[in-house]
Parts: sequence; C-alpha cells; structure tokens
Amino acid sequence: MSDKKSHKFNRRNFLKFAGVAGLATGAGVMLPKDALLARSEKSSKGKKMSFDVPPGQLDDYYGFWSGGHTGEIRIIGVPSMREIHRIPVFNRECGSGWGITNESKKLLRGKDAGDTHHVHGSYVDGMYDGKYLFVNDKLNNRVARIRIDYMEVDRILEVPNIQGAHGLFPQRYPKTDWVVVNSEFQTPVPNDASNSKAFNNPQEYYGMHTIIDAERMAVVCQIQVDENCDLAATDYKGKYSMCTSYNIEKGVTISEMLASDFDYLIVFNWKRIRAALAAGKYKTINGVKVLDGRMGKSDLNIRIPVPKNPHGVNISPDGKYAVVCGKVSPTTTVVELDRLDDAFAGKIKPEDCIVAQPYIGLGPLHTTFDGRGNAITSVFIDSTNVKWNIAKAIEAEKKGEEAKKKNPHIVDVLDIHYQVGHIMATMAETKGADGKWLVSLNKISKDRFLNVGPLKPENDQLSDITGEKLRHVHDSPTYIEPHDCIMVRRDIIEPLVKHRYDMFEHPLAVTKNSVKRKGKNVTVRMTANAPIFGLQEVKVKKGDKVTLIVTNHDEIVDLSNGVAISNYNINFVLGPQQTKSVTFTADKPGVFWIYCTNFCHALHLEMRMRFIVEV
Amino acid sequence: MLMIILIFGFCYPLTGYGQWKMFEHRYEYKPGDVLQTSRFVEKNGYWEGYRDDKLAGYVFLSQDWTKKLIGYSGKHMETLIGMDTSGIITGVKVIFHSEPIVLIGLKEKNFLDFLDQYPGKDIRQDLTVGKGISLDAITGATVTAVVQNAIILRSARKVASHTGLIEYVKGTKRRISEKFTELSWNELISSEAIKNIKVTTGELGIEGKDIYIDLYFGIVTVPSIGRNVLGEKLFKATINRLKKGESAIFIASNGKASFKGSGFARGGIFERFSIEQQDRGYAFKDSDYNILTDIKAEDAPSIKEGGLFIVRGNDFESYSPFKFNLVLPYRMGGKKEFKSFSVEYQIPDRFLEK
Repeated sequence: MSDKKSHKFNRRNFLKFAGVAGLATGAGVMLPKDALLARSEKSSKGKKMSFDVPPGQLDDYYGFWSGGHTGEIRIIGVPSMREIHRIPVFNRECGSGWGITNESKKLLRGKDAGDTHHVHGSYVDGMYDGKYLFVNDKLNNRVARIRIDYMEVDRILEVPNIQGAHGLFPQRYPKTDWVVVNSEFQTPVPNDASNSKAFNNPQEYYGMHTIIDAERMAVVCQIQVDENCDLAATDYKGKYSMCTSYNIEKGVTISEMLASDFDYLIVFNWKRIRAALAAGKYKTINGVKVLDGRMGKSDLNIRIPVPKNPHGVNISPDGKYAVVCGKVSPTTTVVELDRLDDAFAGKIKPEDCIVAQPYIGLGPLHTTFDGRGNAITSVFIDSTNVKWNIAKAIEAEKKGEEAKKKNPHIVDVLDIHYQVGHIMATMAETKGADGKWLVSLNKISKDRFLNVGPLKPENDQLSDITGEKLRHVHDSPTYIEPHDCIMVRRDIIEPLVKHRYDMFEHPLAVTKNSVKRKGKNVTVRMTANAPIFGLQEVKVKKGDKVTLIVTNHDEIVDLSNGVAISNYNINFVLGPQQTKSVTFTADKPGVFWIYCTNFCHALHLEMRMRFIVEV
Repeated sequence: MLMIILIFGFCYPLTGYGQWKMFEHRYEYKPGDVLQTSRFVEKNGYWEGYRDDKLAGYVFLSQDWTKKLIGYSGKHMETLIGMDTSGIITGVKVIFHSEPIVLIGLKEKNFLDFLDQYPGKDIRQDLTVGKGISLDAITGATVTAVVQNAIILRSARKVASHTGLIEYVKGTKRRISEKFTELSWNELISSEAIKNIKVTTGELGIEGKDIYIDLYFGIVTVPSIGRNVLGEKLFKATINRLKKGESAIFIASNGKASFKGSGFARGGIFERFSIEQQDRGYAFKDSDYNILTDIKAEDAPSIKEGGLFIVRGNDFESYSPFKFNLVLPYRMGGKKEFKSFSVEYQIPDRFLEK
C-alpha cells in the first residue's frame, strides 16, 4: 500500500543511519564493560537520596500521571510515589460526582469514557508556570484543560476531523498560547456521510496536526497530512512543533503499516502556519480551518526520515536536540533543531538535520533527560532504561562506524520489571531539568506485587539518577494504565493551589435556602454546613423535574460535604465553599434520605434530610 | 437564682439555619450577676458599679472588646465579666455560646464549672490554661477552654487599660531593617532572633529523659531572619501574602509532642499556641497557616513539624516585645494533663533601624 514515489528522500544518506542500526543488531551489543555491571550500589555523589518521606514531611515533586483508559489524571507525590489525588477528566467518578453533576455533564456532553495518555503543564519561557495542565483523550478525541489552583477540569474541547488524539504538547516559548495534538489514526476528512466514497479508500485517509488556542480552548487550525501523527513535541524557541509518524504507508493492517523501512519525523513551521492562516490558505471543514500539509503540496512542514515505525519524540532541556525513538529499530535518531531553518529554506535536505543515530537497545520508545547532557531512553523489548550521553553519540557519529560500534555513548543500562513504556525524569520537559529522579512506567508488573488476580497493576519504578549509574530504589503499583507523567518541583505548584473555592465564582452559589416551583420544574437551593443541611426536608410530586443546587458553606480547610440521594443514583462531593448542582426526574414516590457521604463531623451520620416524593 | 433560658430549636423547613439553634445556648443576664453592687452607670462599652457612691468595679460584655476571638463553633462566646477596681475578677457568666461540648459527652454544667475558677483571679497574673487555669471541668474541650480564657482575660485587660487601671506603654515605632545578613541557624539562635522552648519528659514528671518538645520560633518578616530560615523564594512569597500591618512567624519543632495539635483539623483553630502583646492576643486559624517542612539556614536541624503563621490585623507591633504561649497536653498515667510555657520575644536591636 506504500506510496513513496513522491518523496524526495536520499536513500543512501538514510542508510548511513539505518544501516548502522541494523549492523548493531546483527553483530550483537558491544557495550562497555562497566555498563553491563551497572547495578550500582550508591550514587557517585556520596550521600544516597532517599525516597522515604517520613510522616509529616512532604514530597519534593508533584507528579502528574495520566490514567490511560480510566480517563483520569492522578497526582503522585515524588519520591514517595504515594498517590495523593485523582482528577476525574473524561470519566464518571462517584468519589467526587464527576459525570453526575450538571457542571461536569456540561463539559462531558454525554461521553464519560476516555483514554488519557499525555499530561503536560503550561509554560512560560520553557518552565512550568503552574497555571494549567492539558491532557488528551485518545478515545473520544478531546483535549481537557485542568486549572491547577483547584486541580479540576475547567474546559473540554472536542476536536473534529481526527481520531486517535494522541501526542499532545503545549507551546514552551515564550508562553503557552498554543497546544498541539496529533491524530494517530488516519481517517477520511471529513469523516461523515458527505465523504462516504472515501470510506473504503485508505489512500484518502489523513492524519492531522491540530493546533489549539490554550486560553480559549478552541481549535486554531489543523494541518492535514498523509501520514499518521503519533507523539508530539514543541521546541524551546516557539518556532516548531513536531510529530512522529509510523504509518506513512497509509496502511490499515499491521503488515501494511510495517511495509516501509523508514518513516518520518514531521516538523511544522509555526511562522509559515501563521502566514498561511493570514493569507486564507485553508479549507473550512466542520468549522475548523484545515491547512494542506500533504507531501509535495506544502511548505508548512518538512519530513525527516527516521528508521521504520518510530515512537516518542522528546526535546533535550538545552533546546538543541529532538530525540526520536526507533521502536522497531534499536536506535534513536538525534535531530539538531538549529538546522531546521536551513532545511525549511531548502539549503539542506531534511535528513541533514540528523546528527546521530546511536544504538540503544531493542525497542526504544521514549527519552528523557537529566539536564547534564545525558538522555535516558526506555527500551521496551529489552526491558531496560538506557542512559546515554548525547554529545558522545554525536561525536562517535562524526568519527564513523568503527567508533560507533564501541557504543561510547552508553553510560548505564538498568534492568526494569517489565516492559517499559514512557520514561520521565524530574523537570525533564523543561529547561530546568534537575536530574534527580527517574520514573520508568512499566506496562507489566507480573510477579512484583501480591497476586491480585488476572488483571494486574502496572509497575512504576523509581530510580535515583543523581549519580553516574541509575540506582533503582522503589516499585509502586498503579492501577491501569498511566502512559506518561511529568514531575514538577513542589515550589512551582504548591503556592498556587487553593484550599477553598471562591464561592461566587459559581453563578448559582446558594446563600439562602429555598424551594421554588415553576410548573413541573422544582429548584431546590440548599446550603451544607457540617453537620447540617440547610433544609430538613424537601417535598416534590412524582414526575417533577428537580434541580438541586447545594453550596458548602464551611471555610475550614479539608471540610468537604457529600450529597447523596438514596435510590436516585445521585452522589457528589462539595469542597469548602463549592457549589454543585444536579437535575433529575423524581420518578419514584416515597421517602428518600439525602445524606452526607464525606465524613465531615462528629455528627456526620446525623447529617441527613428527607426528600419526599408525593404521589 | 438566675433564670436560665436554654433555647432548643426545632426545625422548620425553609428557615435556613434553624437546625443550628440546637447548638446554641443563650442565657439572660444583668450586670449585678457578676459584681455585687446595687447601682450601675452605663458607659461606652461597660458599666461602672457603685457601692455607697464609691466606684466598686466594672462590668462588661466580651463581644464589645474581643469579638474576634472565636471558639470551636466558629462563633464568639459572649461573656459577661465583672472586675473590681484593683483588677480582681468578681464574676464571669457566659450569656451565649454554641460550643459543641455535648459532642464530647460534657454537660452545660461542666462549662459553668470551668468558669467558676475565675472569680478572685488577678488579671495582671499570667493566667493560661495549664497555668493558673485548670481544664479539669471540661477536659477534651481544649479549644473552647483556651479561647474562653483568652476572651475573659483580654476583655478584662482591655477594659482595665481603657479605664486607667493598668497602663500599657505603647512601644516606640521602629522600622525593620531591610538589610540582609546571611546567618546560620546557630547564629540566629545566639542572637535571639530565634527563641526556643525545650521540654523533656522528665520535667513533666513522666518517665524517661526524652525530648518532649524542642520548639523554635521567630518573626520571619525580618529579612535577616526570614530569608535565612525560609530561603529566598518562600520568604518572598510569604511577604507578598501579607496585607498591610500583618506580620508572620515561623514555628518549628522536634520531639514527641506536637505544637499544632489536631484541633485545627476540624475546628480550624490552633489551640496549643498563641502570642500575646500587652492587652492584645493573637490566636491562629488554618487560614493563617502554611506548612513548613524544612529550614534553609545553615546548620539547621531537620524538623518534625513546622508552620508559617500570619499575625492578622494591624495592631501587632512586630518591633515590640511579645509573649509566645504554648500549652502542651501530656498523659500522666491515664489522665490528661496540661502544662503551659511562655517565652518573651523581641526582634534583636541589630535588625531594627536606629
């Protein structure tokens, strides 16, 4: 199915890289002796870093983990690896009432299943500013924004024209005005009855690189490409975004997707995208401006060939390199970002941006950085974390194949348990990468925890990376299935997180209890103040449409109230000074106790009231 | 005999907080309840009581003087207080409170018994719960007791100061020096910029010679103290959070005991410590608090517990001396006991402008 006639790709030049990779696999791995004896006992810096956070002490990092097909985000304290909180995003979550309240339903619009993969924070000048988190939903093709002050979703955007919304990355410089999201699955565009002739013609399936306005949470534009768009990255200068593509073949079966022996890193030029938008060079499809980024039809992007079926793309904290992982090639490809301008100008070929293609191991997926010139790559098939030096890899590439064969770039190889996906070091996606801790998000835990039945947890493994060697210190089970995470220094986030809601931010905040009827619509406005609901009973008639609005008037930190209506399948929680509402039909006559679910007071159990549905 | 009206409210739907009345206790009163005289002359905020045309004392309502002091319920305990002309309390009567003492198995009488220990006490004395004031009658209701004690004494001292019974000399206003000197933990302690309370189990009469508490505190709004203790970043963030006239202190401790206690978890009030300056007292709420987990100054020990606390209002004089009061509970056999400690603090002269 491959259609590669149109690419202007110098095959000999490519083989200079791909060939070496093949050689390394064939010849077996020649690692420095000390790299094989890598299970170091202690960090070279002397004092061991401890993951033990004693009672009363706090973690050094906020870890934001995606939740995979649970559709949520989790907050993990690093280095203790304790799960501190969950943020429901695309899921229905009874603990908080997400998916049950009117406020959350308005954002979810009937879709309460999701698949979160990549959580990233908003930036100012290459550092987190602590304002927002963004996360993708691969299942229903959405992007959610979380406000960090409340650690709560405030916007959800449905992205049209795409499927498999996967790689997501915010703009890093000068600040996050844009967020990019990639569509991993190619589909007809538009993908509806008006374009049914394309349904059975995969040649008319396209990938999309979508640009979102981070403040407005609206699509700025989409760049349509032939390829699929897998993982995403942005540079540190606000000039480019990029995606890896593993299906340049437009394949619809595995064998078709694996047909070509190379694929691409596609780089998008933001200056040219802005110019094309200003010049009106777009079609509007499903209300979105779609720019043409297809092969040979566009100057908006360039395609850098990389070994077949790549996966992750990560930018080094100094902003100099993009590291693309080979997945089915045992190498990574190092792209020098300063060469991109010349490639876009046609002064050099796209593949001339590649400065190294070092051997890593079998199945490299993602790369993270210690801020000291080293990269650490997750290697899926080998089940290892491989630490390697970027400068040494580039130097060996320059020296030639003999130098490369000795793998001088490899610093350490750490066995992990088992089958790592993403990998992330503390602050590694910022220019403030601090090289303290590394988390290997392993897909399979197998025998590492008590057997809990056929469905087992993931295994997030923590390593101290302050020394030359990676020092594995801790295993923690996680419920299925975080894909990716970021770890942000506590001092960046902590001062911005609030203890209570600003009551009147909610337009319906209740200060006076009342029951008002308008025809069959009954609006109940009620306060909650542990251990008392503002009303002791509410009477409605069978068939009434009831809207219950409740405001928690407690100001004390951590004093939440729950509101649950027996037999009515309604349950939600209110933080201090928070308002939530539900609307439902009172279809069952009888007496139904409304009770507090969140232990609030010595008289918590007495905090209940009657909801009487009269015949 | 006094007539006591105990309001026990019943709920009426749609009347808002009707249910709260269940927790409210209101009593009738007259000035003569707390000062034995026949004639009262109403003044602004208090009554003068006369015996044979001679001024015998004063009677006042706490809400006119210390309304901001609130109990576990989040409400002020309105108290009628009598005091003679020499500063001796002649009577105390709570006229309204909604402290949930019933929740801990106490009766209203226990609360009244607690108040019975005040008549005869001299307001110039250092009276705190655990020192001169016993918690026996309402063991468990620590927040209620600590706040009630503060209400009585501070109201009395304010009236005494107002009527000229005692005189407080207003401190000469001095500016805090903005000059920063890098100082180690030990240097901060030896210069008295940080003060210490250290208690061993032996001193409490319980077994062993363990450190019960080793507590340090100081004003952090002084750059040479705050920046050294908190580090540049947290120091700046703390200063930025302060409103005009506010100040902030840090408290950090090691040892078995906790200065934070757990009352703040539900009640929002820290019942084990407060600061006192002349007739003014400052208790701390959870909204005044931020956790402190480490001290940045060189040589500083790691700490088990720490906090940054904002001194609210605009009448605290950070340049003047103040007292730091600590009440520690401990167990003697099976019985809960309290002991209180006070330490005088003043910003060292070198950190104030001339």
